[in-house]
Amino acid sequence: MKPGFISFVLDTAFRVLVPFTLVYGVYVLIFGEYGPGGGFQAGTALSVGVILSKLIQGKEKAQFNIRGSMALILAGIGTFIYAAVGFTTMIFGGKFLEYEFLPIPVHELTELHVWGILGIEIGVTICVMTTFIAIFSALTGEEGPFKDA
Amino acid sequence: MHVFIIETILLLLLIATGIFALTSKDLLASIILFGGFSYFAVLTYLIVGAADVAFTEAVVGVVSTIYLVTALNKLKRRCR
Repeated sequence: MKPGFISFVLDTAFRVLVPFTLVYGVYVLIFGEYGPGGGFQAGTALSVGVILSKLIQGKEKAQFNIRGSMALILAGIGTFIYAAVGFTTMIFGGKFLEYEFLPIPVHELTELHVWGILGIEIGVTICVMTTFIAIFSALTGEEGPFKDA
Repeated sequence: MHVFIIETILLLLLIATGIFALTSKDLLASIILFGGFSYFAVLTYLIVGAADVAFTEAVVGVVSTIYLVTALNKLKRRCR
């Protein structure tokens, strides 16, 4: 892979834009219950931050770097978080993803919906973000089946 | 009525960018026109009231443009 584009304009734009993009991704994840947004959009926004970091600053000097092999492992962990929330409610006597049975001490029963949906959205976010990064690293030939191409 | 006029303009721009993206000789220009097609799709979704779909289309349009440019970087030729 080439060592990234060395350019004053790109570097400055990166320093202004990418931290904002990452914070906005987390905001979309948290606010997704009340407005437009959710796990998929938040994961894509976060992955755009990491992919731009890899494109502009190069593979070695990237500030927000997640390697391709690590990205595949994190995608599995995200799927596990989603499944763990679902099976926790099954263990405590409910159906799959029935949030009223989550073992969290709350004052009202509707708070459990918020916590359960936040849990599965965090899982979806991690899975989508790292899957996009894994596809990108396979396309650039960093890892994966096109490594020698 | 005003909404209908704006919808018509957006649909015409959508069709125009789609046709130019398909018929362009330069592959990089084709990719950038596909990004424009995605942008007008976002505006069309917004004006018919599907904010969530519009948001998804916006972020996926950015990522798919990055993917296509990265795949073009692997190709030997830049023209059709």
